[in-house]
Order: sequence, then C-alpha cells, then structure tokens
Amino acid sequence: MNIIQALLLIVLLDPVPHPLTIRFHNEVCNQPLHLDDQTYTNRFHEPFLILQCKYYIANILISDGKHEEQLPLQPHLVDQADSASLELHGQTTIAYPREIKFTIGVDSFYNIGGVRSGDLDPMLGMFWTWNTGYINARLEGLSDSAHAPAHRFTWDIGGYKAGQNTLRTITIPLPLSANAPALTPAAKSPGPTEILIHADLLHWFDGAHPIHLTRSPICHEPGPLAMQLADNYSTSFSCR
Amino acid sequence: MKKKPLITGIIFTTLAWITTGIPLKPTPMTLPIPAGWPAPKYDTRQNPLTVEGFVLGRKLFYDQRLSRDSTLSCASCHQQFGAFATFDHPLSHGIGNTLTTRNAPALQNLAWQEAYMWDGGINHLDLQPLAPLTAPNEMGETLADVLHRLQHDTSYQRLFKAAFGDTAITTQRFTKALSQYLIRLISADSKYDRVMQGKDTFLLPERLGYAIFQQKCSSCHREPLFTDGSYRNIGMPPDNTLNDYGRMRITGKKEDSLKFRVPSLRNVAITHPYGHDGRFFSLLNVFEHYRKSGMIPLSNFEIGQLTAFLNTLTDTSFLKNPLFAPPGYTITPVFIHRH
Repeated sequence: MNIIQALLLIVLLDPVPHPLTIRFHNEVCNQPLHLDDQTYTNRFHEPFLILQCKYYIANILISDGKHEEQLPLQPHLVDQADSASLELHGQTTIAYPREIKFTIGVDSFYNIGGVRSGDLDPMLGMFWTWNTGYINARLEGLSDSAHAPAHRFTWDIGGYKAGQNTLRTITIPLPLSANAPALTPAAKSPGPTEILIHADLLHWFDGAHPIHLTRSPICHEPGPLAMQLADNYSTSFSCR
Repeated sequence: MKKKPLITGIIFTTLAWITTGIPLKPTPMTLPIPAGWPAPKYDTRQNPLTVEGFVLGRKLFYDQRLSRDSTLSCASCHQQFGAFATFDHPLSHGIGNTLTTRNAPALQNLAWQEAYMWDGGINHLDLQPLAPLTAPNEMGETLADVLHRLQHDTSYQRLFKAAFGDTAITTQRFTKALSQYLIRLISADSKYDRVMQGKDTFLLPERLGYAIFQQKCSSCHREPLFTDGSYRNIGMPPDNTLNDYGRMRITGKKEDSLKFRVPSLRNVAITHPYGHDGRFFSLLNVFEHYRKSGMIPLSNFEIGQLTAFLNTLTDTSFLKNPLFAPPGYTITPVFIHRH
C-alpha cells in the first residue's frame, strides 16, 4: 500500500460529523413538570409547587465504548420556563453513542476571570455577585411545609472552591432506542442522533441525603447544604 | 498653495469616514506602574485600556441613573476628595433610606488588589460593580434594567461605539469600561513616595513615625501598597445589629470568623471613619483600639509620631486630579455629597 492509498483510506475512515440533539425533560414522578400549576408531594409528604427550575449543563462527552468525544459547546442554561433552552444542538462523529457524560454546573475556570457573556451573562441571575460564583442549579417554589417568608423555598446551589464544590458529573448509559435510526444494519451512514434525558425533580429531596422543606427551605450560599443538594439532584437524570 | 492637496485629502478622508461610518480605532492608554511596585494583578490584555473606554467608564461611575430611583451613582459613596471612600459616613447610604452594613472603602490602586470587598468575596474587578448595583440596600437596580436604559441613550450608544467598535451594550462591555476607569485610580504621589524617590525629605516627627511604623505596623500594612492583601481579625467585637462575621461568610471556615481585609493606609488621613463598619471616627480611635486591646502597645509619643507619618501618605495630586472628576468638571462638585 503506498502513501496515497493510505491517506485515502484515512480520509474514508474519518468519521463524518452528524447532527446531535440532546433534550432535557424535567418531570416529577414520571409526570411532565408544570411550573406554577400543579402541587406535587415528596417522599416526606411535603406538598410543593415549583416556580423556577434552572441548571447549567456543561462538559458533554459522548462515547461508543471505544471512543470518547467532547462536544465543543459552551455551558448551557436549561430553564424550564424557556422551552427552547431544553434542547441542545451539536454535532458528533460518534455514530452509535452508548454513553453520555455531562456536568451539572460550570467549571471553576468560568468562576474566575471576570464577566462572561451568552448563557453565562451574570444578567441572567444565575450568579452570586457578593461571593463570586455561578449558581449551578436553582429550584424555587412554594410549600406549606416551608416555614420561610411567604412559604417559599429557594434553593440556589453553587460553590466551586475546594470544600464547597457543587460541580457534579453525570454518567448515563444510553439505551438502544437513543439512536434508533442509525441502528439499521443497512444504513451506510448514521442518521441524526437524539438523546432524551429525563430529570426527575423528586430526587432533589432524597437522591442521596434526605432534605426536608420543613427544615431547609433556603439555600443561598456555598456550603454543606448546597453540596448535599448537588449530590441529590445529580441522581435525578436518566435515559430510558 | 502647496498645502491645498493635503487639506483636501484630510477633508475627503473625514467625509469618507463620516459617510461610511467606519469607526476610528480607540486610542490606547497605558496603565502607569509606579517605580518599585509589583506587577499589577489586573490583566489589561483581557481589557485593553483606551481613552474612549476610560471616558465611558468615568461617565458610568458618575451616572445616577445606574440606581433604581436615579439618586445614587458609584461616586455617591466613593468621593474623589475622600480618596473615593465616603467622607463621613460610617455605613454607606443606599436608596430609599437604607443603610449598608459596611464602610465604603477607598478606591485606589485597584489593579494591584487580588479580591474585593471587606471579606474578599469578589474575585475580579469587572464583577465588583454588580454587587452594589443590585444590592437592595445600595443602588437596588437590576442589571437588565440598567443595560436597557443605557441601550436607549444615544450618548451611551456613541460612547460604547467609540470604545468597543459598535453600539452593542452588554454586561461585559459595561463592566470592562468601569474597570478601565477604576484601574487608572492610582495613588502613588504622596510625600512618602517623593521621599522614597529621594525628591523630598521627612520632617523629624515623620521620620520617627516611619521608623515606628516599620517596627509595629508594616507587617500587615506592607509597603508600597500599605496592605499585604490578607484578612485578619483585629479584635473588633461583632455588632449585634450587623452580625458581620467577615471572611467566614465567604469561606465557610470557623477560623475566618471576624477576619476582614487589611485596608491600604494610602490617603488614610482623609478616609475616616475607619474599620469595616466605620466604628472608629478618627485615627486616634484606631490607635486606642490597638493600645487598649494590647495588640500593639503604643505610647502617646509613638501615636503622635505615627500620625505625622501617616499624614505623609496623603496624595493631593490624586485627590484633585481633574482626569478623575465627573465629566464636565475639574474637581468633584459638592452635589455629589448630598445624600
């Protein structure tokens, strides 16, 4: 095989990027989340209504078991009140993804070095001005069990320094259906990949640590409660 | 007659510029670094200093429309004649009869500072203005409202275009322009500086005071910036209405309870009141605190000489520099100090 043939082979084998859509579906106990509408109940029999649900998605990695590829996307803010934000669009060269990894929250890199733009614009309010740092995730609502002013529970989860870090990496194996169009053996090139990720908000209360609205309706600063809430919601994601 | 083609050329170029609207490049400005000072911490490569950016930042700094009810500007609590601290308020005044919980610090030599606020909670100068702007007991505004107001003001559109190339007014540009003004607030021309450069000499009490200072104060108030940038507990009991535990709120560590940033002593004679909550009305109160608490034994004689030395840190060329005055003024007008 001469050099030209070898190069040709490399070009032919070089995977062609194809469109990838990742969709986030926030829900409570398998039911779609409705803001400011429906009262849900957690495992501790505490009723709650959700007014805001936002979180940053970053560092997305797609893998087929052999190769891993990082999507060149800036941190993305998922906001339940903005349906367009529930979808991320990118490209991948991985034809048959078997696993997706991502972080909830943004790397410490973004928490230093000044004012950012786009989804990281501090104007969006997912930012602490008095103690520099991004709010990685927010869940806000009303609950008769929350003995805070106006029965509000306000959970802002952030913190990036050692001992306060709330960045959590999520790894989800993908079922075959995640890439159905590409799996027909006859297909010569894979079709667009769509990954649907479910986030069950009930995990915020008990995913790893029991957190009661009665006792902890407010989280507004980095620290142990923020880290426990981060542990909790990091268990809420699945792909089925 | 020979000059005519040149003049015609200039006229045509100007006309071409006006008609095509291609902006002239902003004029670079240098950040002066005083002799013997360390390298600044602020990275001007991320925010190149220009005349246009500085002028825009200065206008923003003095603009009362940055507050919710258009009564306060940054300069309301950071007055040039007080080294950009508040001249006589122990705690800063916010909109609608509110008070903050802390004393406004002097704004000087900010490019050499690692973190901002008394507790060091803010890690970058560009982010600093967002805190007073949005705090309900300070300017009480939202960033979105402020940017909206600026975006609909033709004079700001013009200034942003001159500084950044187009009329887009974003959080990033807004804060970078403010930083360009703020990092130029350099105070390094006091009598102390002139003595160090061999251009002046201390009077006897100043010289004696300097020796006492080096022995008893300079381990925290380190030259040439007169702070080591650390956070320390100097034994001020917490006030039960303010409940301010300082650095602990940022780090979450018990050992940081009641620690506050070591302030620079440059221009200290005019930045009273002192302390994070302004509880010390005069320098004498500060000396008394150190003496009574036993932290720094000081005799009456030493206090007198130290006061003489600290007065040499007053930099009138900084306090009266017309470059830092509000647009259209050569010195801070009295109305700045009306709230």
